Amino acid sequence: MRTKAFVMLCSTALLASACGGGGPKSDAAGGGLSDGKVVFGVLNDQSGAYSQLSGKNSIKAVELAIADYKEKYGDKAVVKEFGVETADHQNKPDVANAKAAELYDRKAVDVILDVPTSSAALKVADVAKEKKKLYFNISAATTDLTGKSCNKYTFHYAYDTYMLANGTGRNTTEEGKKNWYIVYPDYAFGQDMEKSFSAAVEAAGGKIVGRDAAPFPNTSGDFSTYLLKAPTLNPKPDVLGTMQAGAELVALVKQYNEFKLRDKGVGLAVGLMFLTDIHSLTPAALAGTTYTDAWYWNHDLTNRAFADRFKTAAGVRPTFAHAANYSAALQYLEAVQAAGTDGSDAVVKQLEGKTVEDVFLRNGKIRAEDHRVVHDAYLAQVKTPAEVTEEWDYVKILRTVPAADAFRTPSPDCKL
Amino acid sequence: MVNFLQHTFNGLVGGAFLALLALGLAVIFGMLRVVNFAHGAIYMLGAFGAYVLLTEVGLSFWWALLVMPIALALFGMALERLLVARLARLDPLYNFLLTFGLTLILQDAVKSRYGVQSSPYDAPAILSGTLDLGAFDFPAYRVFVLVMAVAVCVGVWWLLSRTRVGMVVRAATERPELSTALGIDVGRWVTPVFGFGIGLAGLAGVLAAPIRAVNPLMGADLIIVVFAVVVIGGLGSIFGSVAAGFAIGLVQAWVQALGEDWALLSQVLVFLVMAGVLLWRPAGLFGREEAPA
Amino acid sequence: MLRIDDLSAWYGEAQVLRGVSLEIAAGEVVTLCGRNGAGKTTLLRCVMGLHPGQRGTVELAGRTLSGQPAHRRARAGLGWVPDDRGCYATLTVAETLSLPPVVGPSPWSLEQVYDAFPHLHARRNAPSTTLSGGEQQMLALARVLRMGARLLLCDEPTEGLSPLLVAQVGDILRQAKQHGVAVLLVEQNLHFATTVADRHHLLAEGRVVESLENSEVAAREKDLLAYLGI
Ligand SMILES: Nc1ncnc2c1ncn2[C@@H]1O[C@H](COP(=O)(O)OP(=O)(O)O)[C@@H](O)[C@H]1O
Ligand SMILES: [Mg+2]
Repeated sequence: MRTKAFVMLCSTALLASACGGGGPKSDAAGGGLSDGKVVFGVLNDQSGAYSQLSGKNSIKAVELAIADYKEKYGDKAVVKEFGVETADHQNKPDVANAKAAELYDRKAVDVILDVPTSSAALKVADVAKEKKKLYFNISAATTDLTGKSCNKYTFHYAYDTYMLANGTGRNTTEEGKKNWYIVYPDYAFGQDMEKSFSAAVEAAGGKIVGRDAAPFPNTSGDFSTYLLKAPTLNPKPDVLGTMQAGAELVALVKQYNEFKLRDKGVGLAVGLMFLTDIHSLTPAALAGTTYTDAWYWNHDLTNRAFADRFKTAAGVRPTFAHAANYSAALQYLEAVQAAGTDGSDAVVKQLEGKTVEDVFLRNGKIRAEDHRVVHDAYLAQVKTPAEVTEEWDYVKILRTVPAADAFRTPSPDCKL
Repeated sequence: MVNFLQHTFNGLVGGAFLALLALGLAVIFGMLRVVNFAHGAIYMLGAFGAYVLLTEVGLSFWWALLVMPIALALFGMALERLLVARLARLDPLYNFLLTFGLTLILQDAVKSRYGVQSSPYDAPAILSGTLDLGAFDFPAYRVFVLVMAVAVCVGVWWLLSRTRVGMVVRAATERPELSTALGIDVGRWVTPVFGFGIGLAGLAGVLAAPIRAVNPLMGADLIIVVFAVVVIGGLGSIFGSVAAGFAIGLVQAWVQALGEDWALLSQVLVFLVMAGVLLWRPAGLFGREEAPA
Repeated sequence: MLRIDDLSAWYGEAQVLRGVSLEIAAGEVVTLCGRNGAGKTTLLRCVMGLHPGQRGTVELAGRTLSGQPAHRRARAGLGWVPDDRGCYATLTVAETLSLPPVVGPSPWSLEQVYDAFPHLHARRNAPSTTLSGGEQQMLALARVLRMGARLLLCDEPTEGLSPLLVAQVGDILRQAKQHGVAVLLVEQNLHFATTVADRHHLLAEGRVVESLENSEVAAREKDLLAYLGI
């Protein structure tokens, strides 16, 4: 009796919420601007695990892009009025789906930006395709956005699993760390990352000596089983490749240090890491770890100048996602300027095949074939505490992965 | 063989956290018939409190280990007096919802002050090395966690089974009405027992801070597993919840160590075990069916 | 010792007791008879303070108990022997005996209890629910004697006991009576009742329908048995 009541109590612990607002809007005319203005829609995680790496500060980045556009074109600007709408998708695909439709339909949004979490990102791509509205994905990693789920209105801007695996997996293997043990979170992103890493490592002559799928979400926050296992594998791995993200990455690295794996000859390579992760773990916990970065704020003076402006606006240094949001908003406005309209098809035409150089995109090109935005990537290493002389300056760039090598060739699965 | 021993030992360490949390939950449920959903949030507060004590007050891990459980126990007692007691006469669902709401409030309060990213917290220097356990080395801090948890569980067992206070609490837990009719002021024990259970969750949180990600959501997922552990052990059964906590920790470690092909099983394992136990013994492994009222 | 005045009780809307009044003097044993469902257990629970829906007054030795919680009433000298014998699975026999506080002037010592109930001594470390029915009954009685209660509320203490044990219960109650303890005894076994009680009250449909001195019972036995439905 007690037990039955208890189980019932537990099942009531599920809450869901969805609410909307705003009035209906008129659609775009043949030329000029829909509603007489351009409205950005920043859709991302504003309360959960990914709210630091992009989150509300992405809005600040978009506002900086608007300011720069205004300054550059002055009286000649096609776009005179701007709006920035935002929504929290809580990393849930169904919420992302509903919020994206609401942004396009009811908030008169012309382009959606950001959207971390691959499953949510793919849903939004479907909405963009259906509504024929632009969508720049910044913070999600899945290559499906430029593969089987690609479409005419969706652009994948900052990075993807191939870029991460190719950068970290290939380079680390080529440095002589041939034997890998890969631990990945058991969901779409992690599985995707594991495949990409395995392929990159093997292509570079390395070997996967073990792989484990950790529970996701990992309720206990404990990865010790894998860390115990790592040095006992035969042959012993040179490097532990972790595909965990956010808080799980933090926990895993803490425990990696606790089990003294570096002393046991097992190095650490991280699949995906953001500046904010290093900040929470402290550089000491991650010192020496390599990973692939899409952009780093203190890489050169251009980046640093942007980072200073961003810090004034947001109070923190930008992650690559923030810089990419800025860049995407700016390149969208440039395309509208060139087209003289914010009509989706005209803007897409302007974007396709364009080569771009801005603070985020170095040797950038918006590929017409699959809408992958390619650009230089960077092999980065976390500094030792002694090397850190400035807050947020936690990383040194080991080398640049040229734009031509950084991303995969267009996938045959993609038919725009 | 050495590997097996290592994973077994490690499973016990993982089980230690489950056991401490389940123990507190069971103590509270036994006495108050309240399913304390906020237990995970209290665990989080324990870990976060350790972090705040270190960064804002300058108190070390050892101080946190002493201060946080006591502070949270007092917080729990205030909570019981001010809120839980008011709903005690109603359907237990009300208190479940109260603690559920409290969880959201506590999480969001910490979130709004410290953000969602994880906060750094290190093990005390003296425990940051590894310890030679004969067959293998093991992180010293984890050994400490296991020793602490076992000591606390044994201590609680001794308190409950060998002292007059424990006897009174057992009587009040098992048959509250009969016990009042025999002159026991059951109500007097409710607040301290609630505080004690909360304090145990706080202790687990402090112990977790050096090895797990310290963030506002760290207890949110864990608590569901702890509920399953408590159901497996038998609701309100002190011994059952501790035994089930260690057992689930062990089995989880073993299954995870089996490798990639068993990943799915390791994720649903605790719930499969729960379903199996409920079918086989609806009151849980060590639970007793409630005597008809 | 005990005075109940105009006591009524409800389960939700259903009224179970309708203005019951009775008195028991120190050293007096009074039985309460009546069919199943007449309200006997409810009456004892009202006196004990365990029944929320009640009205009327209950006094013990001149002090009112009404409105007091059960544990205060116990400490004022009430000893409850519940109809289910009130055993604990998580307490041993010895613990069950030492659980309640001493509430009256002449509590039995543990030695006295073990002398009188050697079975309890033999099983003193066993969980009290593992005792046989008869042993459990002895334990419930021994427990209130340990408290030194001034008024015993015994709910069918002989139910299901062998004649030998029934006789022992009678001995215990008479012994208590000699020490000035008052007893309110709910009893279906009329023969047993007449061996220990001074007076009898017949409860039907929530009212005391008849009160008899013990000496009057023999003459009315047939009527009474009919009342009890035996
Ligand atoms: N928990 C309860 N809820 C509702 N009615 C009850 C409850 N317990 C007893 N009753 C009713 O109250 C009446 C008196 O019960 P009780 O005092 O147990 O009788 P007795 O002890 O004389 O057999 C019965 O009619 C019974 O059905
Ligand atoms: Mg009865």
